[in-house]
Amino acid sequence: MTRATSRASNRASSSAASRVAASKGVSFSKSPVLAVRLPTWRSRVVLFVLFAAFAALAGRALWLQGLTTQFLQKQGEIRYARTIELPATRGKITDRNGQVLASSIPVKAIWAIPDDVLQAPPEKLRELARLLDMSEADLRKKLDSDRNFVYLKRQVEQDVADQIAKLKIDGIDTRKEYKRFYPQGEVMTHVVGFTNVEDIGQESMELAQQKNLVGQTGSRRVIKDRLGHIVEDIGAKHEPHDGKDLVLSVDSKIQYIAFTQLKGAVEKFKAKAGAAVVLDVHTGEVLALANYPSYDPNDRRALTGAQLRNRVMTDSFEPGSTLKPITVALALDKGKVSPHTTIDTGNGRLQILDRNISDTKAHGVITVQQIVEMSSNIGTSKIALSMPAQDMWEMFTKVGFGQQPKWGFPGAVAGRVRPYKSWRPVEQATMSYGNGISVSLIQLARSYLMFARDGDTIPLTFQKSTALPAGQPIIKPKTARDMREMLEMVVSGKDGTAKQARIPGYRVGGKTGTAYKVENGRYAMPRKYIGTFVGIVPLSAPRFVIAVMIDEPTQGGHFGGQVAAPTFAKVAENALRASNVPPDSTVTEIVAPADTGSEAM
Amino acid sequence: MSGKINAVLAALLVICALSLVKSQYQARHLFIELERAQSQARQLDIEWAQLQLDQSTLGKHARIEEIARRDLEMTQLTPARTQYLTEGGQ
Repeated sequence: MTRATSRASNRASSSAASRVAASKGVSFSKSPVLAVRLPTWRSRVVLFVLFAAFAALAGRALWLQGLTTQFLQKQGEIRYARTIELPATRGKITDRNGQVLASSIPVKAIWAIPDDVLQAPPEKLRELARLLDMSEADLRKKLDSDRNFVYLKRQVEQDVADQIAKLKIDGIDTRKEYKRFYPQGEVMTHVVGFTNVEDIGQESMELAQQKNLVGQTGSRRVIKDRLGHIVEDIGAKHEPHDGKDLVLSVDSKIQYIAFTQLKGAVEKFKAKAGAAVVLDVHTGEVLALANYPSYDPNDRRALTGAQLRNRVMTDSFEPGSTLKPITVALALDKGKVSPHTTIDTGNGRLQILDRNISDTKAHGVITVQQIVEMSSNIGTSKIALSMPAQDMWEMFTKVGFGQQPKWGFPGAVAGRVRPYKSWRPVEQATMSYGNGISVSLIQLARSYLMFARDGDTIPLTFQKSTALPAGQPIIKPKTARDMREMLEMVVSGKDGTAKQARIPGYRVGGKTGTAYKVENGRYAMPRKYIGTFVGIVPLSAPRFVIAVMIDEPTQGGHFGGQVAAPTFAKVAENALRASNVPPDSTVTEIVAPADTGSEAM
Repeated sequence: MSGKINAVLAALLVICALSLVKSQYQARHLFIELERAQSQARQLDIEWAQLQLDQSTLGKHARIEEIARRDLEMTQLTPARTQYLTEGGQ
């Protein structure tokens, strides 16, 4: 204590002494205390360091502003510039009259961050579950996930999405996507097909035309302000390109007629399935392509393979007697026979090597016309055996059998025609009436185009076409006319196998076919049948070729003349009326005899 | 003399600057309007597609036939009940 006090008093006395010195006229700067000489290099060093620091700053500034400009500009841009994706819609599909068959409408995918959503009050979650059309337990199960991004439901319609947004649950957000709607549903689905949830075509024309239908998304760079409003565009804008619209050749009216009549027939004959196709004779357009069973493309949860199957395009079967006119036409064209040449079909049995060919009954000596009318296997076999196998094979190939169709339809089958070099005579005979050869229904329908068109054939198309395609001649026009006459006799002749194919007011020509079904490489036992009919209407000036196939009819007959011919008649009658085709016959009342249709196989 | 020129130039500069501000403001304004019009166009496009879809759904042949048969009690036309008028015919 005493020591501290003494030091303080010491200091006080010394400062008093210096003040005294200043007051004596010695200036502060001249004070000898301050006269310390530092070496000059020290101040130089300081000066140099200061300059160097400034130089470094200047260099750094130059580096950032002048040389490596990108980094900072990029960082700046990240803070205000945004790239906005401009969505493009998938093209519409319409029928030939402009009716919409498939169209994309913007919808929302609802996604969630599970941890955030589970914080929400339970009544809100219950409401969310109700809006999403799922049970609360299901919703909770979806949210019970380790991931931090879960789709709750995709393709939710806009108004529901708006209601969900109104609930204001944290962690729920939406993403824009498109949903494809098919207003014509099951009627048209085998032509149009469908897309998956990613808007990619999966079936039929949606798949075949995927490249044209799909749009190209665009993008633009914009400056956004603090509130998220777009202030201005920067840089170039990539315009989105919507997918091209697709106009199909199909006529929704005729398609509906074909579908409902086919459905009625399949139900009436308790058949496994049925298929029908309507072709335009002049343009080769496919006006209708119907399959039953079918499915609703808007709701594919319970879709089965049988429903999905497109029996017109992707199934091949033994056509049976519907092939006879082709063999006969070839013989007529080569001059082997004329329509009135007589052929002895004997007692209804013909043995070729070890195989028997039989007719339903003994026809005796009949003309070529009657062979077609009564569908005689023996007659057709005899005509076929009078020709070289190569000619028949060439004929089959020319009309398109065994050839992969190139009409822009996915999954179209080629059918099967074996090379003629491996044909045995009995096979040549059976092939002449459609056994041992397989074709698809559309190939069969197309082969009849040459009869309807005076001897030439044209490629088919699934898109509306304005130009008439150039025909490729196969048989002489005279042969085609003769064949039309024979085909008319099948329907209206007294021994015709297709009396039920008659239509009041119109002349009809066509041919029935009945074949055993092949299962696992051999004919199914007990017998299963496929009844077919291919017809041309109206015969005076052909407009349509219509082919009908009924698969495994089990009730009310199984011959083509009993199951397929009446179905054909109903489709044709309504299609002709719907297309305003004037009648070409005066017969308006038809009482079809019930005992028609038996046919040899 | 040079003082006058300076004054004139300064005034010009101020006018230019102000007009720049104004035109920038106008550009923003027009841009917003354009944006709004474009989004309206998109909305109308969507509505148009929706309406076309509705037309197709409501004009479905199955629906027309059902209504015709059930509500309007119509039946199908048969050729026996049809009189055809042919051009040039008697």
